[in-house]
Amino acid sequence: MGELVGLIQNISNGLLIGAVYAMVGAGLTLIFGVMRTINFAHGDFVVLGMYTAFAFNMIFGLDPYLSLLVVLPAGFVLGVLIERMVLAPIVDKPHETSLLATLGISLIIGNIMLLTFGGESKSVYVAYASEVVSFGEVRLSVILLLAGAVTALVMGGLYLLLHYAEFGRSIRATAENRLGAELVGINTRSIQGAVFGLGVMLAMTAGVALIPLLFATPTATGPILTLKAFVVIVLGGLGRVGAAVAGGLILGVVEVLGTAYIASAYRDAYGLLFFLIILLFKPEGLFGRSVKRV
Amino acid sequence: MIRHLIGLLILLILGLIYPWIMPGTLTVGVTILLFAGWATAWDILGGWAGQVSLGHASFVGIGAYFVAIGATEYALAPWWSIPMAVAVAALFALAWGRLTFKLHGPYFTLSTIAIAEILRLIAINEGWLTGGATGVFIDWMPTPFGIDLFERENQYYLALAFAVGVMATTIGISRSRFGYQLRAVREDENSAMAAGINPTRVKLKAFMISSALTAVGGGIYGLMLSFLEPHILFYLLLSVQIALTAIIGGRGTVWGPLVGAVLLVSAGEIFRTSFAEANLLIYGVLILLIILFLPSGIIGEFNRRLTRRLYAKRAQG
Repeated sequence: MGELVGLIQNISNGLLIGAVYAMVGAGLTLIFGVMRTINFAHGDFVVLGMYTAFAFNMIFGLDPYLSLLVVLPAGFVLGVLIERMVLAPIVDKPHETSLLATLGISLIIGNIMLLTFGGESKSVYVAYASEVVSFGEVRLSVILLLAGAVTALVMGGLYLLLHYAEFGRSIRATAENRLGAELVGINTRSIQGAVFGLGVMLAMTAGVALIPLLFATPTATGPILTLKAFVVIVLGGLGRVGAAVAGGLILGVVEVLGTAYIASAYRDAYGLLFFLIILLFKPEGLFGRSVKRV
Repeated sequence: MIRHLIGLLILLILGLIYPWIMPGTLTVGVTILLFAGWATAWDILGGWAGQVSLGHASFVGIGAYFVAIGATEYALAPWWSIPMAVAVAALFALAWGRLTFKLHGPYFTLSTIAIAEILRLIAINEGWLTGGATGVFIDWMPTPFGIDLFERENQYYLALAFAVGVMATTIGISRSRFGYQLRAVREDENSAMAAGINPTRVKLKAFMISSALTAVGGGIYGLMLSFLEPHILFYLLLSVQIALTAIIGGRGTVWGPLVGAVLLVSAGEIFRTSFAEANLLIYGVLILLIILFLPSGIIGEFNRRLTRRLYAKRAQG
């Protein structure tokens, strides 16, 4: 029976960490859906969220989750500014151009954090770090549960926004057909700015949820998280938020199970391998119905 | 063609007198030449064939590790281990390309990162193969004709030969049938196919040449470092550096990657004191400036203006 409990334990941990991956992926897929831009700096925004929470904890001794009060608006504004200054001028250029531009943004953000905070890896220690909640024999750590809860809240909010608000409808319309959206009077330029802001906000929120869980270094952690986010959205199928949630949960479980039952050193490789297989054999994603040529 | 060859000759002469003028900055010279060679090799695939790879650090790693493991474990001289690395790199590129060339644009780029990252994890974790995360120290090198290969000046001449060799290859390709096929594939694969070109075949050939040449530079880099760590040699940021060097200088041009290497490596040296390890900041800022203001790179833009002026003159009579 011990093995079964272990398996359930691992799967629940995987689902909870996967929920945070889903939040990272949701931002990336939203940006891709509306702007057709592959945002290479996405992981660096996650790390930026982590370091903001870290700085708040250092200076004011605040719980990382309280820094969300700053991170949410700041992330949105930062995203809108970057979109205005860098991405809007190249919106009609080939895909590669925006990939290189976001790669440049990634290098700039990562290295500015490196200059500000130094190269050592950072994390935030919270008082409840070692607390667990028991469900029968399965024990879940409080910080993982909190991360999962924040994700559920944010993703719920995103769902409501996309499906019930006028603004969300405009986003979906722009993603579906930019010209069509413009014809019915949607200002797609400002939608693009807002969507990039929303994506950055989601990434930074995920960073806040992750900082009590893991260590981050300025330039190295960003690209790894960017890759994870790509894995998440390619698993589910590009451009759809619901698919990103599924992709995130799958990635979380695959990683935890691979670590527990195969070899822990290859933790980051399982997702990548899965990613390559999907990209090569089912490029529309596991649940995809799109016929777009990749 | 003749003009390019004269340029190459001038580069060779300048390269040969550099150690006499600036003997104190030989390490910078080796770095510039290696990056020039790598970026030019990258450009065969990334610029001429239009397939942006962010996984070329893998081939640098293969070259460096063949030299290091060959020397320390099997007492193999570099002139044996480098050809082996070249063969392995080319075969590897063949398999890699076969697998991923059905992906296009950014998806191809993503797949190169994924494969390179898996290779990096293998290099870190498989100690029996690479010496593992702690690294390998090259403690022995043969001394052909009494030449000490650990001497920085000798490594400089190797790097010079490497850079000039890669550039000569590119000049040759640029005027060959193969070079025109590459450009046709880059511009439009369907039209290239209509003209009787097999795009996958052409891209595979470009990838194999590109990776083989990169591995040669990797071998020289291994000599220069003499202490190899997998998380540096197979690192994504090295791939990014190589690619950005070529793109900032000018993709698909003969001289762009060299210009990029001179600019970026010397800028990195100048700012090393103020930015320390954050010198990739310069790459980030420059690539944004290039994308916004000079989308075809420094040399690409220069060529464009030159052509325009030439036509203007011709039109005037």
